[in-house]
Amino acid sequence: MASSGCWYCNRCCNPVLPELITRCRPLLGTFVEVTVAATHADAVTGAFAEIERVHRLMSFHEADSDLGKLRRAPAGSVVKLDPATVFVLTEALRLHRESGGLFDVTVGRQLVEAGFLPLCETHNADSFRGTCADITIVDDQRVTLGAKMLIDLGGIAKGYATDSAIGYLQRAGAPMGLVNAGGDLRLFGERQWPVHLRDGDGEMRETILAQDCALASSANALERRQIGTREWSPHIGADGQPVLTQGRVTVIADSCMLADAMTKIALVDRTLAAQMLGARGTVLPPLPPLPSQTQAAA
Amino acid sequence: MSRTIWYQLASAPAVALVASPAAATDYLTLEQAQRVLIPQAASFRPVAVALSDAQRKRIGKLAGTPQRTAQPKIWQALDGKRTLGWVFVDEVIGKHEFITYAVAISPDGQVLGVEIMSYRESKGGQIRNPRWRAQFKGKSSQDRLRLGKDIANISGATLSCRNVTDGVKRLLVLQSVLQSSAA
Repeated sequence: MASSGCWYCNRCCNPVLPELITRCRPLLGTFVEVTVAATHADAVTGAFAEIERVHRLMSFHEADSDLGKLRRAPAGSVVKLDPATVFVLTEALRLHRESGGLFDVTVGRQLVEAGFLPLCETHNADSFRGTCADITIVDDQRVTLGAKMLIDLGGIAKGYATDSAIGYLQRAGAPMGLVNAGGDLRLFGERQWPVHLRDGDGEMRETILAQDCALASSANALERRQIGTREWSPHIGADGQPVLTQGRVTVIADSCMLADAMTKIALVDRTLAAQMLGARGTVLPPLPPLPSQTQAAA
Repeated sequence: MSRTIWYQLASAPAVALVASPAAATDYLTLEQAQRVLIPQAASFRPVAVALSDAQRKRIGKLAGTPQRTAQPKIWQALDGKRTLGWVFVDEVIGKHEFITYAVAISPDGQVLGVEIMSYRESKGGQIRNPRWRAQFKGKSSQDRLRLGKDIANISGATLSCRNVTDGVKRLLVLQSVLQSSAA
């Protein structure tokens, strides 16, 4: 892997490089890596603590998370949440509006029925039919759901957690750092980081150099479940139907929360995602077809 | 960040690697994992345990995943004579990945922390081949902490950590079974 010259020689691209350390923990349903200059190794624990805090608040699986509170709350009641959860929900609603419903955090029912999420303490997902239109943000700590619904922040919370951990590393004075929450990553500092992009089939064909930005990718070719005769992926489109794609989308943005959420929109509509990102980011162009695919088409 | 940087990023020459890299990373040596998980400990004493077939079956039944090894790797974290907890080092084998991880459990059976020590991925069928895995045995405990240049940053579809979380549940059961048999 280290044979590709410039990416790893650490001289031509990165003239002065401090030693880095990386630690990895299972969080947010995936593997989270925190990399920081060895001089600031102690900050890694604090960065993980930020991710653990987001995990506790926004986990679908844990009954005492804010999402657990929301699904147990009677319709119409005011639910008190952590300001971080309200912030992420507010951003999710904005993206839902601007994407014409493509980005939707109220698809928990479909994800439970397709087996991507557990039923948890709810006995029957079928009665949770509320939509984004039923969510009212009262203030920075209170939310009202007009109808029962299963909210899943799987398309945005990993990005938010990554931003929070990066914020911690920066406040701790680290000169450079990288947080990678299962492919949603953000990096900062005077360093160009090589990032391998893993395609829908699990292969890595493309490597980019990134500096001071966030980057997220989505694919679902290997994440499928068969329910009866239907094939499902964890990505649900605006029509409530699964988005099935062989490809991969990668979004670069100034925040990981935005990059994470935008991949879900770009999976369906790259042009819309690029428009919504505007000056805040970009959608990487798709890879040209592989020679094998071209031959198959010919 | 200025827009210029994105353009540079978007137009950065994409490198088509000759062989697709398989992710393989060493994060922590045994000593580092122990120190990170229970920093207050003055020493870590290895605990020799040999599980009976009946105990292994019971752990597998209670945890929902099989307890494969009869000799789990356990260290007692000590501050003088006081036990601060235990560190378990375990392996999980997924379809495509082989992961060594460490879990710290407090004397009252709470998870104090989980750290991944090493992660290996392969696209072939080697994961379940003991000879393939044996080449990494002992590697983590002897290697120096790897430098960042050795870590491959990868962005793609999210990988599930389900195998590891199931493993942690199993180690909690293992600890309670050992405690009840010691009592």
